[in-house]
Amino acid sequence: MHKRNRARRSFVLGAVGLLAATAYAHHSFAVFFDDEKGIVTVRGTVTEFSFRNPHGVIRVDVIENGKKVEWKAETNSPSILERRGWKRDSLKAGDEIILEGWRARDGSRYMRMRKVTKADGTPVGIPFETPVVQ
Amino acid sequence: MMGAVPSRRIAAAGALALLLAGCGGTAPQETAAKHPDFSGFWMLARAPVEDEVLKAKLSPDAVVLQDTGAPEYGPGDFGGLKLTAKAQEIANAWKIEDDMTVSNTCRIPSIVYAMQGPFPIEIFQGSDLMVLRLEYFDMARVIFFDDRFMKEEEAPHTKVGYSIAHWEGDELVVKTSKLKEATITNNGLFHSDQVRVIERFRLSPDGKQLLSTQEFEDPEMLENKGARFITWNKVEGDHVRAYDCDPSFAENYAN
Repeated sequence: MHKRNRARRSFVLGAVGLLAATAYAHHSFAVFFDDEKGIVTVRGTVTEFSFRNPHGVIRVDVIENGKKVEWKAETNSPSILERRGWKRDSLKAGDEIILEGWRARDGSRYMRMRKVTKADGTPVGIPFETPVVQ
Repeated sequence: MMGAVPSRRIAAAGALALLLAGCGGTAPQETAAKHPDFSGFWMLARAPVEDEVLKAKLSPDAVVLQDTGAPEYGPGDFGGLKLTAKAQEIANAWKIEDDMTVSNTCRIPSIVYAMQGPFPIEIFQGSDLMVLRLEYFDMARVIFFDDRFMKEEEAPHTKVGYSIAHWEGDELVVKTSKLKEATITNNGLFHSDQVRVIERFRLSPDGKQLLSTQEFEDPEMLENKGARFITWNKVEGDHVRAYDCDPSFAENYAN
């Protein structure tokens, strides 16, 4: 599931702003997500939003090549999100959203959420500008 | 999450109040009023301050890790820490997949890793003890100023360990032992239950930052000492919130 060899180098890049997420015992951002290939963006319909630790999760149905597929985005810790304006009901099933984040290194439809925007352009909370955090 | 306050939080707050209220008895140490007050809510600073006063007190042979807060080392990189054969064997066998299971997702780190994790802390300072709550994994440290409450030899091994503190001028020095085995760098390097940690805390001149160093040694796992600079920024009006880790989160990794 993870490509450890690609990550066999230091990810201590805080000085240049590439901050990796940490959360012992579930996983390391540096190993799991690809912060070098930039941001992946999908537009879809929320099917589930869970607001829990160690991470929240947003599930969205996305149409790719005419086919419905599921993307999952893990979020920062709920307490961190709350401090950035999120609430447990910020997203509801059926919401149309644009979801941006750092994609899993294994190429699966799994990302670390950076920014969420409602279909009408309303941002949800304050976006994360770097792959930061919690 | 923001609705009714869970009963266990009320209980915890009550316990803290009782502990701190009990601090006013016969104080063999100087009273807290003679020392800086670290009480309050502190958010981890994105970049730690390498405070010269604290830096001068690190062991000369301690390697300073550069992973405080959100940055972290990739697999096989331990920031200059020299592993014993035992630690290296464990590190070689480590797989991140093992951390991403229902049984391990909410496994708690020790204070060695948790203090620099990118989460806030809240300090309740008394004269004979202080309580330091970490938002990360709902951890709570009780740091005593003497051993009247418990002797080190009687203390169980836990993830917060047994901490005794003293003041050196305006610096708080905390010595911790009796820590359970846990990660050091979140990438396969673990400390043993023999690890010993020395932390130094001081306020910045304007009182807006809490400056600290963490130094640890563990001859069973490390051939040299390790250290970190950790800095927090004072934030008024906020408090540590419940972490309440849910292990079922790991089910999301299964496609």
